[in-house]
Amino acid sequence: MKRSVVLAGFLSVLLTFSFFMAVPVRAQETIKIGFFAPITGPAAADGMSAKHAVELGLKEVNDAGGIKGKKVELIIYDDRLNPQEAVAIANKLIEKDKVVGVVSGSYSGPTRVTAPIFQKAGMPMVAGYAVHPDVTWDPVQKKPNDFIFRNGFLGEVEGAAAAEFAVKNLKAKKISIISMDNDFGRAISSGFAARAEKLGSTILTKQMYKFPGEKDFRPYLTRIKEGNPDLIFAAGYYNEAASIVRQAKELGITSQILGEEGFDSPKFLEIAGPAAEGVIIATNLDRDDPRPLVQNFLKNYKKAYGEDADMVGASSYDAFMILVKAIEKAGTDPKAIQKALLETKDYNGLTGKISRFVQGEVVKPVQIQVVKEGKFRRMAVIDNPEVITPPLKQ
Amino acid sequence: MLIQQLTNGIAIGSVYALISLGLTMVYGILKILHVAHAGVYALGAYIGLFSFRLVGDFWLSLLFGMAGSALAGYLIEHFLYTPLLHLPRIAPLIVSIGLFTAMEEAFRIVAGPHTIAYNATVGLGDLSIGPFRLTETQILILLVTFIILIFLWAFLTKSRTGLAMRACAQDAETTSSFGVNVKAIIAINFLIGSAMAGAAGVLIGVYDNQVWPTMGSIPAYKALAIVVLGGLGNIPGTVLASIVVGLVETFFIGVLAIPFPRDAVAFVAMVLVLMFKPYGLLGKA
Repeated sequence: MKRSVVLAGFLSVLLTFSFFMAVPVRAQETIKIGFFAPITGPAAADGMSAKHAVELGLKEVNDAGGIKGKKVELIIYDDRLNPQEAVAIANKLIEKDKVVGVVSGSYSGPTRVTAPIFQKAGMPMVAGYAVHPDVTWDPVQKKPNDFIFRNGFLGEVEGAAAAEFAVKNLKAKKISIISMDNDFGRAISSGFAARAEKLGSTILTKQMYKFPGEKDFRPYLTRIKEGNPDLIFAAGYYNEAASIVRQAKELGITSQILGEEGFDSPKFLEIAGPAAEGVIIATNLDRDDPRPLVQNFLKNYKKAYGEDADMVGASSYDAFMILVKAIEKAGTDPKAIQKALLETKDYNGLTGKISRFVQGEVVKPVQIQVVKEGKFRRMAVIDNPEVITPPLKQ
Repeated sequence: MLIQQLTNGIAIGSVYALISLGLTMVYGILKILHVAHAGVYALGAYIGLFSFRLVGDFWLSLLFGMAGSALAGYLIEHFLYTPLLHLPRIAPLIVSIGLFTAMEEAFRIVAGPHTIAYNATVGLGDLSIGPFRLTETQILILLVTFIILIFLWAFLTKSRTGLAMRACAQDAETTSSFGVNVKAIIAINFLIGSAMAGAAGVLIGVYDNQVWPTMGSIPAYKALAIVVLGGLGNIPGTVLASIVVGLVETFFIGVLAIPFPRDAVAFVAMVLVLMFKPYGLLGKA
């Protein structure tokens, strides 16, 4: 007993000592950026994609000499898609790790609970692909979280862009909607329905399914089949998306299926198999974009991790690079970084040209991709400003 | 399209039946709530999946899944439940819950957190009559469930072992005094119940084309509700309750289009049955 107390005391002294020794030296040498993603748990495939892509970005930055000669250090946390976990991570990043800025490679749930913490601490955060409005908006005080920026689309914007394509390009008149019942599903399907109806199409049925949990979509799809729609707009993440697409095919449904960025994962293609062929999605990455930035990323990602990059990875990469650019421009003072982010103009991103941020929301074209021979390929780009400019929150 | 919804409901109800039967049989004979049964179900799906990857034949993978689950069920009975039978029934229940959680974590560690596609070709083909479509996987589920139920019925009513098993469920002590080896009967009970759960795991693996670590968590409590609905320990009642739950869920979603969470159906039904018919759908006081 006594000996262990002595030992513990000795160890803690040693630890404290090494802590004081280490911190000043490292703080001078590196610029710390925080990062969190659901690396394990139900969204692990997306979490890993985000982590891989950001690590690729980190390597590029450091290989090119870092930021003004200083190496960038990434502090990575796994939020397991758990908001409580994310709160602890946010506090740790601010107090213990003393990062200069944060990148979210996570979903809306964990990202939106961290937003007020970073906002209060005056710590800039760029979210890769979290879609909930309250990431960039304080719903209590009804004002923007002006330290938080988002590289992905608002659910409403992406939904509206999908509807624009469905009605104007695919000439869909009768449409059925099947959507997961969560923030993202509700936002994107209401954005879709509003735009589709404004353009003169009819929504035959609108069904919500429980997420997570639903696996058997046959009852929903059988009901959709009765109405024989021109198009089915389906909102969900890759597992549910694959089930919907596969089961629709099994039931002999021939209507065009239009999905969203939740489909944009190699897992979707794997689980849906041949049924994925011809499925169209609205998303945030154009794999056939000829810019070397995009093609090099896709090539390097494949080389490093042995699988194709997806929307989640590309969006997180962009979020990281946007933050790095701002630090390059403004230094390591969080307030100055925020100012640089606010002044972002015509930034040449992997996921498209970002013209600016409005209330923290990105303004850039929405990509329409189609599955051809088991791969996502370019089909169209929606750049109608009426559709892609995020509605002002108030 | 009512007939299509009917098929959808009976198909999912059949899978519920395969899972719930093992649970009700175990309760009938040991009076233990075997929560880890849902872990045995998920194990069957994983064994089926990996053996399909190895041998490339769906039917063999179904057999492997059933055999692996049967073995797992037997081991659980032999090493966990039997030594605890002298304790109040809360003890094996706690063990069962702990084991179920441990199994889910074990699946995650061994096979990874991702959903894995089964991607099996069964070789049965679809059946189309006009707009109505009996899909290959639905034919598979109906066929396999039908064969298993016939086997179970024949076993329980025509064989001496089956007779002994039913006798044990009524009164194990008296049955034992007639020279029946109750231990062996309990083991057989677990082997059969777990093999059925394994079959259900493989069938769902193919029906959803997905196998994932927590696939047992919804069946774990839904099967419990179904078993109560069927009258604890009542085999025909459990089959009926499963089909009813599958049909009601499907009709709520697909016909009435009521946004009522599917997994609540079994529980609402359970509460109603407990209030008005406490011995289950087919039960007699």
